[in-house]
Amino acid sequence: MKENIVEFKNISIDYPMKKYTLRAVNNVSLNVKRGKITALVGESGSGKTTLSSSLIRCISEPGIIAEGEVIFNSNDGSLINVEKLKEKELRSFRWEKVSMVFQAAQSALNPVLTVRQQFYETLDEHGIKLTKEEKEAKCLKILDFVKLDSKRVIDCYPHELSGGMKQRVMIAFSLLLDPEVIILDEPTTALDVITQHYIFNLLKEINKTMNISMLLMTHDISVVASFADYIAVMYGGRVMEYGSVEEVFKNKLHPYTKGLINATPSIIGNIDDVRPIDGRPPNMLDLPKGCVFSDRCPFAKDICKEKEPETLYKEDGSFIKCHLFLGGEDNGK
Amino acid sequence: MKENTPIIVDKKKNTFWEVVLKFLTKYRYFFAKIGISILTLALSTILLFFILRKIPGDIVELYALKLQNAQGITYDRAYELAKSLLNFDPNENVFAAFFRYIGGLFKGQLGESYLETGVSANSLIKTRLPWTLFISSVALFLSFFIGTNIGGFIATRRNGIANKISSSYIAITGSIPDYLIALILVIIFGYNLKWFPTQNNYDAFSVTPGFNFPFIGSVLYYAALPILSYTIVQTGVWILHMRGSAIGVLGEDYILAAKARGLKESTIRRRYVKKNALLPLITMLGVSFGSLFGGATLMESIFNYPGIGLEISNRIVNKDYMVVQGLIFFSAAMVIIVNLVVDLLYPLIDPRVREK
Amino acid sequence: MNKEKFSDFLSTLKIFFKNLGHNLLNFLKKIFSSKKTIIGFVLIMVFVFIGIFGPLIFPYDQNTDVANKYLLPSTEHFFGTDWLGRDVFRQVIAGTSSVLEIAFFTAIFTVTIGTILGIISGYVGGVVDKIIMSITNIFLSIPSFPVYLLLAALITLESSVSLALIISLWSWAGLCRSIRVQVMSIKERDYIQICKVMHMSTFHIIFREIMPNVFSYIAVNFVVAMRNAIMASVGIMLVGLAAYDPTNWGAIINAARMKGLVNYKNILIMIYPLVFIIIFQISTLLLSNGLDETLNPRLKVK
Repeated sequence: MKENIVEFKNISIDYPMKKYTLRAVNNVSLNVKRGKITALVGESGSGKTTLSSSLIRCISEPGIIAEGEVIFNSNDGSLINVEKLKEKELRSFRWEKVSMVFQAAQSALNPVLTVRQQFYETLDEHGIKLTKEEKEAKCLKILDFVKLDSKRVIDCYPHELSGGMKQRVMIAFSLLLDPEVIILDEPTTALDVITQHYIFNLLKEINKTMNISMLLMTHDISVVASFADYIAVMYGGRVMEYGSVEEVFKNKLHPYTKGLINATPSIIGNIDDVRPIDGRPPNMLDLPKGCVFSDRCPFAKDICKEKEPETLYKEDGSFIKCHLFLGGEDNGK
Repeated sequence: MKENTPIIVDKKKNTFWEVVLKFLTKYRYFFAKIGISILTLALSTILLFFILRKIPGDIVELYALKLQNAQGITYDRAYELAKSLLNFDPNENVFAAFFRYIGGLFKGQLGESYLETGVSANSLIKTRLPWTLFISSVALFLSFFIGTNIGGFIATRRNGIANKISSSYIAITGSIPDYLIALILVIIFGYNLKWFPTQNNYDAFSVTPGFNFPFIGSVLYYAALPILSYTIVQTGVWILHMRGSAIGVLGEDYILAAKARGLKESTIRRRYVKKNALLPLITMLGVSFGSLFGGATLMESIFNYPGIGLEISNRIVNKDYMVVQGLIFFSAAMVIIVNLVVDLLYPLIDPRVREK
Repeated sequence: MNKEKFSDFLSTLKIFFKNLGHNLLNFLKKIFSSKKTIIGFVLIMVFVFIGIFGPLIFPYDQNTDVANKYLLPSTEHFFGTDWLGRDVFRQVIAGTSSVLEIAFFTAIFTVTIGTILGIISGYVGGVVDKIIMSITNIFLSIPSFPVYLLLAALITLESSVSLALIISLWSWAGLCRSIRVQVMSIKERDYIQICKVMHMSTFHIIFREIMPNVFSYIAVNFVVAMRNAIMASVGIMLVGLAAYDPTNWGAIINAARMKGLVNYKNILIMIYPLVFIIIFQISTLLLSNGLDETLNPRLKVK
């Protein structure tokens, strides 16, 4: 069995619009390790959601994959090229292999169907033949698992549930067909801190006990530190740095990663040490020439404004995309 | 072990008025709606009454003369009889007239015809309303069914040829007044091709009304052209509403989520897009149904189809105002009542506004 | 109203119209970016041109000439002649101005009543709002067309203005309701709240802050009101009422229809006004849709 469960290979995703084409994801290669939690970090619009939804070919309209491919190495040893799946295969791939907890979990449930109707419908459409009692038992079990009052919640309409409850229903929903990977798109936005903490503990438990790999998108760096195994930092549609959480946080190599970490207040640190990153998030239609971070980077050199840096891979599979660490010219550390 | 002392519950019995008050507050929403409807109906009655004050006074005299000749009574008695039958007295002061008018309405007398004895707004509603409702409701539900299906379909294919065709269809049927479309259809299919009859509701010479096939066949044959033109006009409107509503729904997160769950396209279209997009349209359907009771005045006169609308236009031209105001009052009342029913029933179909 | 308030009112009005002129150029540029608007506008201008100069070039002779009845179209009579030998083309041309007058006056009356009541209702709120809304409900409940007929029969109509008054009397309610909703939502926005805190006058708030925001909506509804006016007025004439101008397109159609459609020659006569009505309605639809798309950005679909 391969170590990587998902391999994004040179993926580029375009949004063709009337006058321009917006490239939301540019030539990204990234691996998601089996049984681990990989965090995708970046500001809004950095391409996290777009990249991860390409895994189930659910990019929001009118986005299309312009280049590259997504390989899924299933636990049963089979190799699936997601882009080449036929309509029917794709339908069963979705949710049976990879499920997703949406950013807007608040509105990801159909308002006119009860939780039970939506759960049953998904089971039926995936051709899972169960008796009524078995179905009910399965749904109640996963709802119990996310610590909901399953008997009550299952017959509720979405608007009868609170935000935190809906979020947990969506997490339970993602477990319904025993997937191998769950994509978590900012699963705790719009929730209060206590519920956030609670949900992350729950997710960690799911990850450990069910051995489900996770791809977590967040812009909250503190969540990553306590929760994820690997981190990929995205900026302007590119992955700037990737590595294990300990290494990346210890070394703080890439200027953008450094900026992100420094911008997060710490409970034990001094508030004066918190420094926001200067400048604004990039305009995806008008990215700076050269390195996309060069206009905000405090260490930017002439070459940064001219040439986009190559990716520098290390032996442990981690990589970084920055001129400061590329040899050749006199860049040095 | 000693149990904790339970909290003492005040078991004092509620008085009658407290129960009533509780009941009222619980169903506040319903009572507010009902109250507004009654108010609107009352105000509409007042407004119609004042329009009625514009009616020239000589119609009582004309009617009295008619009664005098018909029944061989003195003019004064005939005049008195005319006033009470018409529920209208030109010499009365405003208040007296108003109370007489209201009194008539409460007795269920909507208005007596002065042209034909024994004919009233009530009797016309009894004989004409079924025909009006027949053609207009068949057309309404037909066009709703066709329009929402097409609208839902083209919402998913916004660049397709079907969208372009239906956009032009909507533009054309939306810009020509509905009765002119009816007129064009009558000219083509009625007078030129002679495929369909150009007046009446069934062939009175060869069939006998009742539950028999020749009669039903004749009714359908005579109704075909009116129903067709109603449907042509209204389908475009429903396509437009449904397309707008469905495009809104398609942008919702739960559609993308359903796709990510691997649901079939057909399931998503049926249980997600259509179900959600149809909900606001159901209200519109109800409101449209309420407005059918007044008949479509011009449509019916163009087809010479004996419904409420044709009666209204004919009787206005012939100055039979008492009947006309009765029919208008009836249709306004039906609009208000049906709107109220739709408002009250909506929570049953939309779980979002349903109270637990 | 005291003097100070009145002068404040005047100056506010002055600024309102000055700004209107100032922004007019940008506004025109914006609205004429839509093809629909251009086509609709040009077509309506053509009708206006026909209405003004048509009767001067092709004056209509009401005198009958039975010897020349039911003539087919020729170079002398473009649309042929009717059952009394009168030129149909010249009738249609002569009726244009009457149709335009009805459309224009109805739109002005409807929009004026609807806007004023809508703004008062939405801005003042409270009891005033409740009263205005109850009145609006009545007008929305009583079916409009039969009332048009009733009023047209009870009041002797002699001009387009009186017909326009009757039609607008029963068609302002929908507009009033939607303007009220818009004003209510604008009123809650921060900048209006700030204006209130700064004790700016009500006139100032209404004319400088609220009016410009609902203006685009009013513009679209002006055109929509024109459409409805034609629909209603032609309908009234088709029943045989409001027969003050026999050359109005609706009146021509009705006259031909009364002559009997069994005779195909009468059908030929009514085709021309029919086509004119359809073209006019299509041009108003194009104009209103075009304006709606450019002025109400929420309707834009990516």
